[in-house]
Amino acid sequence: MRTGVIGLILPSTFSFLEMMWRICPALAVGCTVVALVPPASPTPLLLAQLAGELGPFPGIVNVISGPASLGPVLASQPGVQKVAFCGALEEGRALRRALAGEGAELGLVLGAEALLLLSDAADVDSAVEGVVDAAWSDRSPGGLRLLVQESVWEEAMRRLQARMERLRSGRGLDGAVDMGARGTAARELAQRYVREAQSQGAQVFQAGDVPLDSPFYPPTLVSDLPPASPCAQAEVPWPVVVASPFRTAKEALALANGTPRGGSASVWSERLGQALELGYGLRAGTVWINSHGLRDPAVPTGGCKESGSSWHGGPDGLYEYLRPSGTPTRLSYLSKDLNYDTFGLAVPSTLPAGPETGPTPAPPYGLFVGGRFQAPGARSSRPIQDAVGNLHGYVAEGGAKDIRGAVEAAHQAASGWAGQSPAARTALLWALAAALERRESALASRLERQGVELKAAKAEVELSVRRLRAWGAQAQAQGQTLQVAGLRGPVLRLREPLGVLAIVCPDERPLLAFVSLLAPALAHGNTVVMVPSGACPLLALEVCQDMATLFPAGLVNVVTGDRDHLTRCLALHQDVQALWYFGSAQGSQFVEWASAGNLKPVWVSRGLPRAWEQEAEGAGPELGLRAARTKALWLPMGD
Amino acid sequence: YEGHNKDLSWISKIQVNHPAVLRRAEQIQARRPVKKEWQAAWLLKAVTFIDLTTLSGDDTSSNIQRLCYKAKYPIREDLLKALNMHDKGITTAAVCVYPARVCDAVKALKAVGCNIPVASVATGFPAGQTHLKTRLEEIRLAVEDGATEIDIVINRTLVLTGQWEALYGEIRQFRKACGEAHLKTILATGELGSLTNVYKASMIAMMAGSDFIKTSTGKETVNATFPVAIVMLRAIRDFFWKTGNKIGFKPAGGIRSAKDSLAWLSLVKEELGDEWLKPELFRIGASTLLSDIERQIYHHVTGRYAAYHDLPMS
Repeated sequence: MRTGVIGLILPSTFSFLEMMWRICPALAVGCTVVALVPPASPTPLLLAQLAGELGPFPGIVNVISGPASLGPVLASQPGVQKVAFCGALEEGRALRRALAGEGAELGLVLGAEALLLLSDAADVDSAVEGVVDAAWSDRSPGGLRLLVQESVWEEAMRRLQARMERLRSGRGLDGAVDMGARGTAARELAQRYVREAQSQGAQVFQAGDVPLDSPFYPPTLVSDLPPASPCAQAEVPWPVVVASPFRTAKEALALANGTPRGGSASVWSERLGQALELGYGLRAGTVWINSHGLRDPAVPTGGCKESGSSWHGGPDGLYEYLRPSGTPTRLSYLSKDLNYDTFGLAVPSTLPAGPETGPTPAPPYGLFVGGRFQAPGARSSRPIQDAVGNLHGYVAEGGAKDIRGAVEAAHQAASGWAGQSPAARTALLWALAAALERRESALASRLERQGVELKAAKAEVELSVRRLRAWGAQAQAQGQTLQVAGLRGPVLRLREPLGVLAIVCPDERPLLAFVSLLAPALAHGNTVVMVPSGACPLLALEVCQDMATLFPAGLVNVVTGDRDHLTRCLALHQDVQALWYFGSAQGSQFVEWASAGNLKPVWVSRGLPRAWEQEAEGAGPELGLRAARTKALWLPMGD
Repeated sequence: YEGHNKDLSWISKIQVNHPAVLRRAEQIQARRPVKKEWQAAWLLKAVTFIDLTTLSGDDTSSNIQRLCYKAKYPIREDLLKALNMHDKGITTAAVCVYPARVCDAVKALKAVGCNIPVASVATGFPAGQTHLKTRLEEIRLAVEDGATEIDIVINRTLVLTGQWEALYGEIRQFRKACGEAHLKTILATGELGSLTNVYKASMIAMMAGSDFIKTSTGKETVNATFPVAIVMLRAIRDFFWKTGNKIGFKPAGGIRSAKDSLAWLSLVKEELGDEWLKPELFRIGASTLLSDIERQIYHHVTGRYAAYHDLPMS
């Protein structure tokens, strides 16, 4: 069902197309839009006027002209359910921090840099035309990082420089020019970047003689920039192209994936196998093979890593403005006295529990990291109590070091797991389901001790087993071919794993919620670091005993301890690709705030309970959508 | 131009990506329009590049004579006077005929007092499927009759079977047979199968001593198109970078409207630069193009559209 009121915040240099890419899908699924645009743009106001003339529905598109500081004000209005922002990285980060705790969900599309990978098996002249499309035309969103294989470096540079001589800059409306001007701010940014690059030792080539006071910035090619210099790490502004060589395809992937940005990229190679390998290996939202800059409304366009995780176009673009039926309206849960610097920093000490009553004391559980149970760094445990207050067991007190170890183990297992065929993933999940079935009595008795009736406990175990099987079966359907008008050749919408997914399980439903969150994450190829229920982590640890024998090491890591402290460590970790948090409202707010660090997509419960036993909330399509990310792979054909 | 030693490494690693070249072709046509008096100037320049051609089975001395007269006076005198270009010596670049009609053409041009070259097609035009001996003899006979430019067709069989050395050898022999005459090599790109083959054939032709490379005979199903031209122009540029020799380019077949001819001029200007925009390095093989250009110039000068009978037949 549709989301509701969408707030749209546009940067000072937005294009009409970008605005329409966001307004149209929102309107199409039934949402209404309030757009905040910079003061000097009349076009959105005209659009709003035209929309206002639609008799029965005035107010579907509303436009406010104002400074960027109104952004958080717009987002914190009570009715706004989602805020879509596209613009510069730092503004996006600041907005993410400012909106932590507000009711609106935040969708970010940040940065405009693209990547072009030129291998030695490419048609170099056509790749040079690709560079022109990508960086030196009015259609290009931003600058370009160019990676050229060393064996064709000289040839490529020569052709690039010859081609730059033919580019014409002029007024944008003149039909015979290639590039217009984009305002003084953009010009100054480019000028600053080029000056800094020169001072850091780069060679700069600019075509033509452009006087200093003209509004046009000439097309610029920067080469020999040392990889460790600050300019090489910063985003490349328009119309600059920064070229660097690489030796092998493997090195190319490492260089290409070695930035925090992951927007769009193109691969130029006439060898099909090599082109596809590079295309699949690049961590970007859109990959074009032997072409650049193709767009179509039916194909999702978005990014990953710090380019934001919001999409437009294709099915993903529509999902942005939809939410599962029956979801209540999002309200602000902001807690103004939450101190981000101290939340979860110190672990409250727990006193030792009283003497144990009951059968012989079991040894304390360790942390389940890297496929086996290990002692925690702090070398201490915390007691877990059952429903009547007796001691149920001891679990490890995990800390920051243990989180670090768990994330590392998860990363080590990530590439192997992502490379597994869907059938192999299905087999593992079904094996775990069978193991849980065999363990049913033990799990049911533990649930009973936590105060659940025996019949309900058995039902819970059965449901968990069924969910594992269901998600296992869903491991098959990934990716589809899209039909694009005007293009000869397929466009693939691939669903790829996020990477390492961190999940903080809710306190209630210690077994069912744990399994319901674990299964979709694994089925889509992610490795996980989980913080189980605080009230009773023992059920999760029981499941870990089976996972120790069945799963590859590091696939699932479970860390117990103080939930706020562990959440803090995970939320601030730069190498966790996404975080799902089902806990307190304050924790949710902290998670949203902290995710601004590496702009990981987060899913928080805002302190509200979730009906895990219902299909819609416990096993609905929303889980599957959030557990993977999309990549659009364009394959134009022809010889 | 004597030719270069053959070096197959220049063509061994070449790749051409068809969809990307198509995209570039569309862009060029869309992005460089020329209007008003500049359009008229470009059209007059286009006239000076035309090789006025008649290659039909029913050519006789009478239509050749008409053609040669039109070559000397391509645009009506009063239109040129209105543009103040009547004394600039605007004629077409050459006249192109079959070998048997070369004598007629030379006589007609002498009668009219024009010294533009007569180009003859040779080597089994248009299919090229005759024995090498007769193909060479054709060239010699045409040169004897007075042709100063020869348009040869390459052997497509050799291209499609990848026999690049043999192709080089043949074109070298044609070069020798031409003697002092200027050699244009027709690649018949519509029959070469892929753009990569077009590039390779262009390179071999240039290495073997062609003064010009030409896209097509005009008799194939697909003649001069922009994607093929882009590939050939890139080959010419690469050859120039490697050897310093400038080889000319001639598209032929399918160029009928004045607007098309302007797009061709833009293409050459974009890919190779202004130095190639002279009759020594650029020709357009066309027959009906001239009347469409004349029609456009008539419109520019008078503001009215001409009737069929307003402009002299060629």
